[in-house]
Amino acid sequence: MSTLTPMTKIEVIVPARDAPAIRELITAAGATGFTSVSGVSGIGHSGQHSGALLFNEFDTLTMLITVLPIEKAPALIDAAREVLGSGSGVMFVSDTAVSRPDYFE
Amino acid sequence: MNLSLRTAVAVAARSVTRSWPLDSFIAINPVADLESMPFDDAPAALRTTRPVEAYRADYRSGRISFADVEAAVRERIPEFGSPARAAIGGVTVLPATLVACDLTLPPNSADPTPVQQSGESGAHARLDHLTAKWLAAFLDPDPLWRMPGADDGLFGVFRRLARYDPDLTRRERRRLDTLSPTADDALAAALIELGVTAERQADVLHHELAHLPGWVAHLKWRADQLGDVDLTSYLALRFCLRAAISAPLSAANETAPGGGSSFRDATLRATQIVRSLLPDAQVDPDDVAVVRGVLAAHPPADHVFTWQRAYEIHYRDALLEAIHEQANLESTTPSSEPTTQVLFCIDPRSEGMRRHLETNPSVETFGVAGFFGVPIRFARYGARGRIDALPALLSPRHAATEQPVDPRRAARHTAGLRLRSAFSATVHASENSVLTPFAFAEASGLLYGVVTLARTLAPGMTARLRRRAAEALAPRLASTITIADAFTIDERVSLAETVLRMTGLRSFAPLVILSGHGSTTTNNLYESALQCGACGGNPGDANARSAAAIFNDPEVRLRLADRGIVIPEDTVFVAAEHDTTLDTVEILDRHHLPEHCRGLIADFDLLQRAAGEALVRERATQLPGASARHRPARVRRRAHDWAEVYPEWGLTGNAAMIVGPRAMTRGVDLERRVFLHSYDSAADPDGTGLESILTAPVVVAQWINHQYYFSAIDPERWGAGTKTIHNAIGTLGVLAGGSGDLKQGLPWQSVGFGHHLVHEPMRLTVVVEAPLERIGEIVSRNQVLRHLFDNAWLTLIARSTPHTETPSDRWHRYTPYGWRPWRGPHREGATP
Repeated sequence: MSTLTPMTKIEVIVPARDAPAIRELITAAGATGFTSVSGVSGIGHSGQHSGALLFNEFDTLTMLITVLPIEKAPALIDAAREVLGSGSGVMFVSDTAVSRPDYFE
Repeated sequence: MNLSLRTAVAVAARSVTRSWPLDSFIAINPVADLESMPFDDAPAALRTTRPVEAYRADYRSGRISFADVEAAVRERIPEFGSPARAAIGGVTVLPATLVACDLTLPPNSADPTPVQQSGESGAHARLDHLTAKWLAAFLDPDPLWRMPGADDGLFGVFRRLARYDPDLTRRERRRLDTLSPTADDALAAALIELGVTAERQADVLHHELAHLPGWVAHLKWRADQLGDVDLTSYLALRFCLRAAISAPLSAANETAPGGGSSFRDATLRATQIVRSLLPDAQVDPDDVAVVRGVLAAHPPADHVFTWQRAYEIHYRDALLEAIHEQANLESTTPSSEPTTQVLFCIDPRSEGMRRHLETNPSVETFGVAGFFGVPIRFARYGARGRIDALPALLSPRHAATEQPVDPRRAARHTAGLRLRSAFSATVHASENSVLTPFAFAEASGLLYGVVTLARTLAPGMTARLRRRAAEALAPRLASTITIADAFTIDERVSLAETVLRMTGLRSFAPLVILSGHGSTTTNNLYESALQCGACGGNPGDANARSAAAIFNDPEVRLRLADRGIVIPEDTVFVAAEHDTTLDTVEILDRHHLPEHCRGLIADFDLLQRAAGEALVRERATQLPGASARHRPARVRRRAHDWAEVYPEWGLTGNAAMIVGPRAMTRGVDLERRVFLHSYDSAADPDGTGLESILTAPVVVAQWINHQYYFSAIDPERWGAGTKTIHNAIGTLGVLAGGSGDLKQGLPWQSVGFGHHLVHEPMRLTVVVEAPLERIGEIVSRNQVLRHLFDNAWLTLIARSTPHTETPSDRWHRYTPYGWRPWRGPHREGATP
């Protein structure tokens, strides 16, 4: 464990149609990459969300996951909060650790 | 990139609805961002309904009845259906009746009129003009002269060339000479110069995006799909121009004042109602007080939404009555062993062709989304470019093309196409350079003059000659779609099973025709709007051919049999295309037809010819300038007439969607207003087929319905205005005249004629035959459906099974609080 570098992980779940805007913010915040999971399912504030639909990718939810250095995280968190404040979506922030920090800086 | 600024842009742009370009015109709800709120809560300034006076005129003409208005009040305020609340002159009166009186009695005071937006100042109009000019110049895909430095992006090229803009004064140009190199920095600087604080940024940007809504909607689509421009660059350009020409920030939109009436006005209205109910009695102040109390729960600002619902209820009740009466029509029963089954697109225009074909009992028809469950990016053999033949709800993932059957013929075909392409390129180049047009006109003017006269005076004959010439040059090519390369065998089996599960098709006739649809029109910028919406605004032939190939694949049939679906060996699937302007159904890929089904095909050809002619005559009664007395050939000539702005009505009039077996509607004239999706709940025990129908075809139908709705409600704002003054910007969209905003929505010629609306703007009524619990579960686990149904953007009516008399199996209306029974026109909720 001692060789790992602490980082911040941010997970954002938004309607697929809003995902491009969040992806742009992740890039603007200086994150070097992200993972996108389309068609996620679950239950949230506004009810149930089925997962991937056979013929509709537009009205599903997408989860975007990014990991970035701790000092860069607050700006992205503030930005995502502001965007999510105007519509549906959730954000989870957690501490994490990575083995190759140069990939994330 | 400037994160805080990008955040403000993202917040400001979240409510902007994307708009697809003209060459793949996709019908959308232009206010889709509001779907998460009730339809009736839309801001008054948006004007999401017709004006009250239009509904009053419908009431006077009988298009809306008093009972419709009462029913609408009961739907909007369910407790007003209870008789316990109001007693006038000792007689109990339903509160819904009092409210209906309030709406239908002649007004004694002016209705609240929406606040008119103050006219844009000269500086703002100039800013719009300049911005639109730069966008059109940068985004034109086929410019006469390519913009120097276009590779630097929208803001880069603006920064480089703005100093030469002759529409700017020398002082303004000088101010644009020192812009920051990046869009982010320039936008930030311009906002500071205009005195916008960080806290106000998102609001100011949001307001700015409301200008030129057509261009902004296109930019949002473009940023996501092509990525060659983004809204930050656009806003940087606009705010830099705003600062340079000293155009002050626009004042924030003023919202319409409340709309609530004064106490005095309510008293006057209540008095009028009491007087109308008790014409011979003295008006009792207590009665007035009771009525005023009821009216307070339904203020004048709500009237227009009740009127709209009443307008829809009138149509909906007639539709359900027609379905109910159909159950007694014996003459429409199909043969127990049909010889031909035809699968058509759900498009309302298919309904006419289906109805006429079904006059022959040996024909059975089905409705399914016109891409037949095969989403492909398709490139024709030897042709440039490709099309995304799939619903806009999906991303293209499977590419297919054509493999010629005869390689020698293919070589001739390709050579012919090259020759035609070279000729077109030469003509295009001659027309568009500086000096050659003079020589070109001298050399070819006479020939073009003759051709122009022929096209104008004899469009049908000219089209036939052109087609023959084209086929002589590049003969038609028999080919096979490379569907096995696009999908694995497992995927193909799954696609086939899905279509069968969604349509309930289980027993197969010897001939099964999969008919996509397209539309032949000439000189029509909105051609895409007449093609298949499920195929991304393209003709559906490629999808039909792909699906037929899948169903005829012996390996697919073998695996389907393992899943309990047995397609008889002698059943043949054949692709076809329904041309909705000509009303013909042309069999495709005839070279693939086995010998034993040629007789059936010949019979079908005769049948479709008769059905098509009957349908053309039917449509001729509604087309401007046509008549039922005209020969079908004369009506069909519109397809080739380059001066014809009404080649067909498209989906005008669409008002409902029925999801259920064709037995529900066979024999009923639905007037080509209803999307029809076949569904049999018995063939879909776990409901996955129904979930796919509700979350995809219903959503696409809803986009189309709202596109027509809003284009009819406000043709200048949500629609594209009249076609006659349109100028195209490449394939992006059209301008009305020479400059200005990119027009959104459908042209006036899709919704009206002269000064009158032809399309009746109604929100879609979705009628489903399936177990209510199953429908409820599907709606509750899909946010898109919750938004649409709970917020009354659509109405959902359902029944579990047909032909039963137990109350639980009659029609029910979905509400956020559960199903409410429908027992006939205006008797909803009454005691059984």
